[in-house]
Amino acid sequence: MNFLGFGPSSTIEVDFGGAERRTVTIKGDGGSAETLPLFSGVETLAGQVRVTPPPGKKLEHTGVKIELLGQIELMFDRGNFYDFINLVHNLDAPGELSAAKVYPFEFSRVEMQYESYNGVNARLRYLLRVTVARSYSSNLVKDFKFWVRNVSEAPQINNSIKMEVGIEDCLHIEFEYQKSKYHLKDIVVGKIFFLLVRIKIKHMEIEIRRRESTGSGPNTYNESDTIAKYEIMDGAPVRGESIPVRLMLTPYDLTPTYRNISNKFSVKYYLNLVLVDEEERRYFKQQEITLYRRDL
Amino acid sequence: MSAPEATLSPAEEQQKWLTETTNNVKQHAYYMKQAIDDNNLREALKHTAAMLSELRTSQLSPQKYYALYMKACDELLHLESFFRELHKGGRSIAELYELVQHAGNILPRMYLLITVGSVFVQSKDAPAKDILKDLVEMARGVQHPLRGLFLRAYLAQCTKDKLPDQGSEYEGEGGDVKDAVEFLLQNFTEMNKLWVRMQHQGSPRLKEKREKERQELRDLVGKNLLVLSQLEGVDLEIYQELVLPRVLEQVVNCKDEIGQTYLMDAIIQVFPDDFHLNTLETLNKALGQMQPTVKTGSVLASLMTRLSRYALESPEVIPKFEELQAFSLLREAVKKVSEIQTDVAMLDLVTLYQALMSFVVQVHKASLDKVDEVLAEAATVLAAQNQAVSGKAVTELVALLSAPLSVYDVVPILSLQAYPKVMELLEEPVRKEMAVTIVRSVLKSNTCITDSEKVDTLFGFISLLIKDDGLSEPEDEEEFEEQQCLVSRLVMLLKAPQPKSQLAILNTVRHHFGMGGPLRLKYTLPPLVFAGLRLITQVQKGEDVEEGEKVSRKTIFGFLHQTVQALGSNGQPGLAMRLYLQCAAAANANGFEDIAYEFFTQGFLIYEEEISDSREQVTSLQLFIGTLHLCTCFGQENRDALVHKCTTYSSRLLKKSEQCRAAYSCSHLFWVPGSKDSENVALCLSERRMASTPQMGAQGSATVAAASLWRYLYFFDEGNTAVTVQLLQGLMDLIAEEMAKTQSDDAEGSNQTENFYASTLRHIKHKKAEGGEVGARYAELNV
Amino acid sequence: MRATDIPPQFKQLLVPGKIQHILCTGDLCVKEVHDYLKGLCSDLHVTKGEFDEGTYPETKVLTIGAFKIGISHGHQVVPWGDLESLAMLQRQLDVDILITGHTHQFKAYKYEDRLVINPGSATGAYSAITPDVKPSFVLMDIDGLRVVSYVYELVNGEVKVDKIEFTKTS
Repeated sequence: MNFLGFGPSSTIEVDFGGAERRTVTIKGDGGSAETLPLFSGVETLAGQVRVTPPPGKKLEHTGVKIELLGQIELMFDRGNFYDFINLVHNLDAPGELSAAKVYPFEFSRVEMQYESYNGVNARLRYLLRVTVARSYSSNLVKDFKFWVRNVSEAPQINNSIKMEVGIEDCLHIEFEYQKSKYHLKDIVVGKIFFLLVRIKIKHMEIEIRRRESTGSGPNTYNESDTIAKYEIMDGAPVRGESIPVRLMLTPYDLTPTYRNISNKFSVKYYLNLVLVDEEERRYFKQQEITLYRRDL
Repeated sequence: MSAPEATLSPAEEQQKWLTETTNNVKQHAYYMKQAIDDNNLREALKHTAAMLSELRTSQLSPQKYYALYMKACDELLHLESFFRELHKGGRSIAELYELVQHAGNILPRMYLLITVGSVFVQSKDAPAKDILKDLVEMARGVQHPLRGLFLRAYLAQCTKDKLPDQGSEYEGEGGDVKDAVEFLLQNFTEMNKLWVRMQHQGSPRLKEKREKERQELRDLVGKNLLVLSQLEGVDLEIYQELVLPRVLEQVVNCKDEIGQTYLMDAIIQVFPDDFHLNTLETLNKALGQMQPTVKTGSVLASLMTRLSRYALESPEVIPKFEELQAFSLLREAVKKVSEIQTDVAMLDLVTLYQALMSFVVQVHKASLDKVDEVLAEAATVLAAQNQAVSGKAVTELVALLSAPLSVYDVVPILSLQAYPKVMELLEEPVRKEMAVTIVRSVLKSNTCITDSEKVDTLFGFISLLIKDDGLSEPEDEEEFEEQQCLVSRLVMLLKAPQPKSQLAILNTVRHHFGMGGPLRLKYTLPPLVFAGLRLITQVQKGEDVEEGEKVSRKTIFGFLHQTVQALGSNGQPGLAMRLYLQCAAAANANGFEDIAYEFFTQGFLIYEEEISDSREQVTSLQLFIGTLHLCTCFGQENRDALVHKCTTYSSRLLKKSEQCRAAYSCSHLFWVPGSKDSENVALCLSERRMASTPQMGAQGSATVAAASLWRYLYFFDEGNTAVTVQLLQGLMDLIAEEMAKTQSDDAEGSNQTENFYASTLRHIKHKKAEGGEVGARYAELNV
Repeated sequence: MRATDIPPQFKQLLVPGKIQHILCTGDLCVKEVHDYLKGLCSDLHVTKGEFDEGTYPETKVLTIGAFKIGISHGHQVVPWGDLESLAMLQRQLDVDILITGHTHQFKAYKYEDRLVINPGSATGAYSAITPDVKPSFVLMDIDGLRVVSYVYELVNGEVKVDKIEFTKTS
């Protein structure tokens, strides 16, 4: 804040988790990457807040508090955060600081059921917010973000996806994916059978598509995004041919499937089988798959 | 507005595209290699993928695409060794195998996967069979025929030395030969499907071009079969149970003419002969299931050719052929081709029967029936085509007819009823050539034909060479002469052991040759005469003649007389005359005075009437004199008459020198055992000497005189009383005199005479020096 | 005309490239034999035989090394095969060695200081003069003034070789 001409300002630092805490690097807004501490499931967040007044000055305040916030931000309502977690600890009564002061804090066994998420229309974030309240000037507020990921058990039921699709008298294919649920480092394995081919296929690819839904009811807003394009066939097969599908999920930036997070948004994933013919017409069939996180 | 682009011809366009893509490959490869040098895997993969993306082009013709492919493959070798280095450095190949699959486009991805896969197999970190199976399966994603074919060719290339074949280092945990076979069969099947599919793509208008392109690509498909055939572990059982049925299934099911033709042929070429022998039935069945346009005939032909060669090279397997009834299987198959395929070209049919024929003669040498069977069937089938045998079919048909000749003696061949029927299919000039081939093979085999029926058959086979074709002059004289000489040489081989049969043969031959017209007689009759003369010698010896085989020599002389006369009356008087003399000598040797006299008489008749050329008269007379000198059978009267003829004709010769020489020769006629007439000898010699002097000039007379000196010396030695020392001395003086006169004339000629004379004198000195009775006689002679 | 061919046993011995000159007295009769001999050695010398047509000379003289050699078929020399008469021809031609044929019987004589050779008939053809003709031919090895003649004769299907030496007195 110094460059605005107010002179040296107070600093607020938080140390939670220490050096051994694992971190993740997240692609933030505008492509910049940031490295954040990673939390998972039900965890106790404890640490220290250190408030330091400007050198040689005193800091007068009406109280110091720390909040743990879980927030959802939707694009159409930007800046308006919905807090699904809001925990507060007061750290200090009103007073005056003439030197740096350290406040220990602890939020014990906080349940962080939602994962952090940086989507197009929806964002879910976690942060610690330290506020030094003041009466005559604006409060000093500082946010400390952290990232949450939750692992889940492998699903008990994991049926294959199998279906026949086609355009009458033009194209008739049957495809099969071995599973409907995949962990994020999983491999999609499948097979495509060509039962009838009367169009001149040029190639075929599998796309991974992500659909974010925000809002609800008539105000539902969907945003689709192609995460991966993976060519699985070059050229035109004839009837009776079958080709293998093997798509590794590792290289892609995927999240688990999120269903109706706090009634605010959902993130769903689809495998989209796309056939392109010589006239660049695209024929496709989309199948939802469920993604889950097997490990952090 | 831009200027209109210059239009490129399709070929130029292709070249341009090739250059562009090749340059791109080079460029990406450059970065790839740089990344490899920097040990930067991610970058290396990125650039390799970019390089390989050039192979995604659809614009290049197969040939140009091949060039591009080769370039890319070369570059991939760098990547492969980089992978190997990484593995040595401790990097997990399994991980690399996964990593390269992140590539978004399938074609580069598959090339990369195969490249890693090859290193993966080598590392033995996973069983070879699993990796191979994965590769061959994943390659299915490339369904574009051209790109798919090349991709799979790359797969085959990279893995051919890494298969878990029997005895290979990859056997065991890596799998066994069946896994190797399975892998190759699958790759083969997929490649064939892609290859066949090319036929059905694109405009029907470009069918021809497409077919040409497919032909260019066929070896890529066939390569799999080659590798299959090279697997150590593929024994007959695996071939029979696994390999062949699967390959044939694909070949039959692809229902593609080019494919079936090529692949059936490839099967036959790459797998060993004993496999074919043991799977004949299966092969036949498959041939029956080919598309109607497939030339199964030529496939069958090459199969038979291989089997024949096999039998030739390994005679020990021939019983196996019998056991497996190879002949009837093949014969059936051949028949089927001609029955089912209505549209078979003459050439194919002929080729087919030709191959069947070589098979039979090679494998079933002992069975002439089978040869005749094949001939008969060929004759029927080919004749039913109602087409002329022409072009290459002629060569094949000639080969068919020649095959038995190369294996059997001619005698058994003469029993082949169908042989002439097949020959009939040939047009005349070729039939003639065929006849020449037959004659040559008879001569080559050097086998005698011992009965007149067979001789008759043989001449039936080669009648075109023997019968007069009504031409006043042969088209090609040299060829005609060659043919007739061949025929004439045959006569020596037509030989029965017993006289009567031999005479029957000679009569048969005479009958056939008699139809040859004057142009042929000149060649064909003389050997027949000599054959008759030999027969006479044989009868004369009279060894071991069987009952009923006796022949009178007079009969044979009668035959000879007739034969020679035929020559004489057909424009060959000189020849006839000389043959008469041969006969006369033979009659003399047999003590047949009248016959000998008759032959002489016939000879002189010709001499008088026909021999007008003076040179010919000279040589003819020498023959008369020489022959007569041999003859001891004549009584005084006959002898005198004949000698008289000789001396008379001698004196009528054109040149004096010739007269002299002839007279010198005649002198010997008066000096034969039992009739040594010194006076007449001297008369012959002296008459000539005296007669010689005026006309011939000094030179000539010296030469003649020198020659006569030798004659005198001959008779002097012999004790002829008319030849005295005085006479010799006088002659020598005369020669010296004549020679002195000729010094200046013709230097060379006189030198020759001088030399001759000098050496004669040396001869005399020799005799003198010999001593004894002869020396004593010569002692008086003054040299 | 009178025989099919040169016996295979001889053909085996006669290899192209080993012989420098071929001297043949005649009665080849057909071009094929001529071509065969020509194939063995391009320096082929032939005289006219009894049944030859064409342009062969009656006699031919050539010099090989130190030797003057004459060739003549011999049917012109009466009595046929008579040594004295051949010797006369030899002196007339003024040759060291005379090669003649016609009788189809191998003969070699040293006559005074000269040599007369009749190599016989290589094919063993019929002859009116000799009843049992054995095929034969002669190879001559000329070395300075010495000539060694090897006589190859086919007797009952086997090749018999004899050697005759002759040295020229200069």
